[in-house]
Amino acid sequence: MATLDLENISKSFGPAQVLHNIELAIEDKEFVVFVGPSGCGKSTLLRIIAGLEEATEGRVIIDGDDVSGEPPVERGISMVFQSYALYPHLTVYENIAFPLRVQRMPKSELDARVREAAEILQLSDRLPHKPGQLSGGQRQRVAIGRSIVRNPKVFLFDEPLSNLDAALRGGMRVELSRLHRELDATMVYVTHDQVEAMTMADRIVVLNDGRVEQFGSPMELYHHPATKFVAGFIGQPNMNFVPGEIASIDGDTVRIKLDGGGEMNVPVEQGDTAAGERVEVGMRPEDITTGEGFEMNIEVLERLGGTAITYGKLNDGQSFCAALEGSVAAREGQIIKLAIAPEDCHVFRRDGRVMRRKSAPPVFDPEKLSQKGS
Amino acid sequence: MSQTWFAWALILPAILFIAIIVAWPLVETVRLSFTNAKINSESYVGFENYAKLMESRKFQQTIIRTFYWMILSVSIKLLLGLIGAALLNATVPGKALFRVLVMPPWVIPIAIGMIGWLWLYNGHFGILSGAAQFIGILDGPFEFLAYKSSAFYSAIVADVWVGTPMVTLFLLAAMQGVSKDLYEAAWVDGASRWYRFRRITIPQIMPVMVSMALLSAIWTFNSFEIIWILTEGGPRGATTTLIVDTYKVAIGNFKFGQGAARAVVIVILLAAFSGVYLFFLEKVNRRYGTK
Repeated sequence: MATLDLENISKSFGPAQVLHNIELAIEDKEFVVFVGPSGCGKSTLLRIIAGLEEATEGRVIIDGDDVSGEPPVERGISMVFQSYALYPHLTVYENIAFPLRVQRMPKSELDARVREAAEILQLSDRLPHKPGQLSGGQRQRVAIGRSIVRNPKVFLFDEPLSNLDAALRGGMRVELSRLHRELDATMVYVTHDQVEAMTMADRIVVLNDGRVEQFGSPMELYHHPATKFVAGFIGQPNMNFVPGEIASIDGDTVRIKLDGGGEMNVPVEQGDTAAGERVEVGMRPEDITTGEGFEMNIEVLERLGGTAITYGKLNDGQSFCAALEGSVAAREGQIIKLAIAPEDCHVFRRDGRVMRRKSAPPVFDPEKLSQKGS
Repeated sequence: MSQTWFAWALILPAILFIAIIVAWPLVETVRLSFTNAKINSESYVGFENYAKLMESRKFQQTIIRTFYWMILSVSIKLLLGLIGAALLNATVPGKALFRVLVMPPWVIPIAIGMIGWLWLYNGHFGILSGAAQFIGILDGPFEFLAYKSSAFYSAIVADVWVGTPMVTLFLLAAMQGVSKDLYEAAWVDGASRWYRFRRITIPQIMPVMVSMALLSAIWTFNSFEIIWILTEGGPRGATTTLIVDTYKVAIGNFKFGQGAARAVVIVILLAAFSGVYLFFLEKVNRRYGTK
């Protein structure tokens, strides 16, 4: 279908600059998710791709053509809105048919397309109804139906699941992934929900304050977050950050003296660091096990069955979270001994950049992309 | 038991109020319509007043004139209101000022506004006649309210002037209630501005427009002071609508019985009109509603 390139996109609303020189190259048939906290500019970026908003600077290139000045319909995109934007006075059939009516498509072809879309989205028996009579999930599917009848080159989704309840959201995630496989289309998806990003994306763009923090596969972001922001944003529960200082650099590892006491040798690339630099050690709750490392006073214990999430304080008062085995022998108010393997730790420098870990699971799976091409 | 008593006591003032303000005059009007009541005498005459009205060609013409007045005036108000609302809804600089400028015809007391229109329509001193002479449409002074046909349409123009602002503001409010996303979605799908107006704005504001049309129709039907100040129903009855006719008979000639019969006919006509209208409103709601 189509590639999508963003070249040096900047956007200002008056004096406030919301996007700073965004550069992205999205592959054909890729499912890319823009994720970030609210106000990070992800929706604005999507609207610039759609042509609903004009970039102050930079170019949008779809399938090799510069479409920056083009109106949305000339760009070969379609968009699903957070509110679904269904026409309440039109039936499901007419809602899905709307873009084709605008094009004045002959009736027989229009009918075939609408029915095909309804078939894919399991809406065939809802066609004569109005949106007001549908459930949230069905409305969502109508909105998607309206976007697929046009056979766009690029699908854009603006937080499409945020109005659904949690159970439905899980189901729709699976359906969207299935749809992506069936339609074999390039999709750009905006969300603030990192679970949606991790589960659906081929690659994720993490945006913060109008800048791209990192662009990579979900596992790359998880195992090799480029910045402290990405590390804190990706992964559930959030990563712990423990302050410390580089004590020495010993060959392959960096020796870090933690402020709360204790030292550890972490195998990371040293770059231009030197002893004495302040750093933060990132520890994912799920990498932590019980063991003879450090102590935590458990304040809250959430047993989810398979895992038990414990929240508490380290000896120096630092808040900490550990995801332990579901059957762990612990209770609130108790002091528990925890440990983490040094190679599972992330080290962030003062400016937030990571010192790349030397030993981490393989992260980029080229198989995944090539399968899609076949 | 005492609770029931207390409940009745609570709604009693409202019942009394409605009885005095609405029910009694209504009953009294119906009663009067079966009499030949004058200032100091009255006796029961049965259906005589109604029989007279049925036979009167003049009264039939008045009914037709009233509906013509109403339909023409309301149509123009709705059309202008729709255009005005669409323009005010557009994102233009200074639209707040334009919105305020719509209000005066509605805010100014009708009597004062109409005296303004009297001057505008004046043949010798009025700006309309003067301007028409200046650009050469008219050879001499033209008294707009002095001729049968020009008086009727001049009164319509003044009535439209008074009634359009409210229609505009209601339609504007309805337009602002339409979700912006709908327009963006349609734009993404390639719908032109006109197409979006036709396929989204109009259907979305249709229920408000239909209700507004009914209200405006009733007000226009009963519009009295505009006509009375401009023409007193003349010349030669050209601007006499049912309400003006009723006033002339009942208050002008002190024929309360005949006036009351006219008032009852107005109530019946308006009720019938509203009934038919509500039937169509139901249809419109089914078509453009969300269910």
